[in-house]
Amino acid sequence: MEPLKTIRPELLTMSEEQIRVLMPYFVVFGGAIVAMLGSVLKKLSPKWPVFIITLATLFAGVWVSIGLIPEGPVTLFNGMMAADSFSNFFNTVFLLAAALSVMVSFRYLDREGLQLPEYNVLILFSVLGMMLLASALDFIVLFIALELMSLAVYVLVGFRRADRRSNEAAMKYFILGSAASAVLLYGTALLYGCTGTTAIKGVVHLAQAEPAAVTPVFVLGVAMVVFGFLFKVAAAPFHMWMPDVYEGAPVPVTGFMTTGLKAAAFAAFFRVFINLGLAQGATEVVQRHFHDIFWVCAVLTMVIGNFVALTQTNLKRMLAYSSIAHTGYLLVGFVTGTRSELGFAAGTMYVVAYAIMNLGAFAVLTLLSGKDDSGLNLHDLSGLSRRHPILAFALSVFLLSMAGIPPTAGFAAKYLLFSSAVQAGEISLVVIAVLCSAVSVYYYLRVLVYMYMHEPIGSPQTLRVSIWAGVAVAAMVVLTLQVGLIPERMVNIAKKAVIGM
Amino acid sequence: MHQIEPWVVLSFCSIIFFIGFTGVLIRRNILVILMSIELMLNAVNLTFVTFSKQLNHLGGQMSVFFIITVAAAESAVGLGLVIAMFRTLRSVDTDEIQILRE
Repeated sequence: MEPLKTIRPELLTMSEEQIRVLMPYFVVFGGAIVAMLGSVLKKLSPKWPVFIITLATLFAGVWVSIGLIPEGPVTLFNGMMAADSFSNFFNTVFLLAAALSVMVSFRYLDREGLQLPEYNVLILFSVLGMMLLASALDFIVLFIALELMSLAVYVLVGFRRADRRSNEAAMKYFILGSAASAVLLYGTALLYGCTGTTAIKGVVHLAQAEPAAVTPVFVLGVAMVVFGFLFKVAAAPFHMWMPDVYEGAPVPVTGFMTTGLKAAAFAAFFRVFINLGLAQGATEVVQRHFHDIFWVCAVLTMVIGNFVALTQTNLKRMLAYSSIAHTGYLLVGFVTGTRSELGFAAGTMYVVAYAIMNLGAFAVLTLLSGKDDSGLNLHDLSGLSRRHPILAFALSVFLLSMAGIPPTAGFAAKYLLFSSAVQAGEISLVVIAVLCSAVSVYYYLRVLVYMYMHEPIGSPQTLRVSIWAGVAVAAMVVLTLQVGLIPERMVNIAKKAVIGM
Repeated sequence: MHQIEPWVVLSFCSIIFFIGFTGVLIRRNILVILMSIELMLNAVNLTFVTFSKQLNHLGGQMSVFFIITVAAAESAVGLGLVIAMFRTLRSVDTDEIQILRE
């Protein structure tokens, strides 16, 4: 065993620059701790203070992260973590997703009798996990970030404690998620055994320098890491339990999960594979193997997600399947991304567009849902355009964006993704993706037909939209249209983020 | 002193890991499933330690500390969820928690 010779002093101190680039993490961590302390002030009714602290933390984090996007890469903690434009770009996405979820769920929690401050604290901790996940450079850091994010979300899924469906969803998600983490970890252990390091770059460089290191055990290790990730992003054939989880979770949590969690898992995935993709030589073996795996996974995910969504009559479950379908499109970005830089930029752009429109759709769903998440069947939406024209318009914008109809963010992102896939020579994959996308138009437009062309059923109930939720939905509509009309800016930021890694 | 070959330990770990994985897939009692997950994580720990010894590198043993901590947090959350579920469902059998449509 190698003795600990000397402790290098530069590892014990942090330069000012390092502290500066760590600010987003400090802000969120500090906010989470303060919110947790605030939540024990039983006498003061911690509802408002914790809500305000959470929102302030998240927006402060957004502000700091946006400011750090143009900065060059800084490696932290002896190469365990990187703060670069890529991580700050994704931090902004996670923090915005969390802020919007918190804003939308305030009235929802009141209505469901769940106004517990733990909700906001758990969201803050899971966001911290996501941020670390997007900046991890070491498989162990990656695992800890993944667990920090997942453990908080397991509890959030089961937040409606008295509801059997919520409990069931939490339990299923917990078992699935922990098994996936264990598989990922075993893959890490095998890679460590082959290369003697747990650093992502170290593993890749060793495989590149010594082709002999690419043994069957190494390939098995990479495969297990990949399968662990595919579980996390709910790609077919590992999607079986995810619709149940999305259906059983409280609506705002489903929105948070399908955007934040997915974006975080994809961010880590992108980082690992950009490193793999940049390495030549021995990793070509790995690339060849994994190209086929991703190809099959992408096709399966798109086909299953879209075709099963066709038969759903519950809006929440339909969006759950549509979320799986969108994972499929993102995997297209993966297949092509290993060969072109633009592939990953297109994928990154798609993550953002998807986050915007999906959060918006779930925000509207949260406002429309009745007690215990009821009232989300298609016929419940009949004549919504007359009862609540503004919400009906907002939901239409989000659904059209998901279907990929111009001038929305979904169209711009899909166009970029598919055209970069064509450039990479994946014609058959793009054809399948476009066909699946065409199928998806049917179930998205069906909702619009119910909202605009059917007569209202029953007595019109009044919807109470809080200011917070109203602002959140309006912001999402504006962003969807803005990214759709002027995509260049977002594309440039996404490109810079991917290159600046 | 007689030393155990690393490959013996490593194959042992992989067997334990797959016993755990199979347990998660086929067992019906949630508590047994939780134990299976722990089994998988501990197989990973043992793998890390073996490789650490074999490679003469401390990183693997450091990883084990983190994994043990995370595994403890995970089982705490898992048992909490089991209790919440038992309160509403009065069962820890996965066959009886199939309300959500397949």
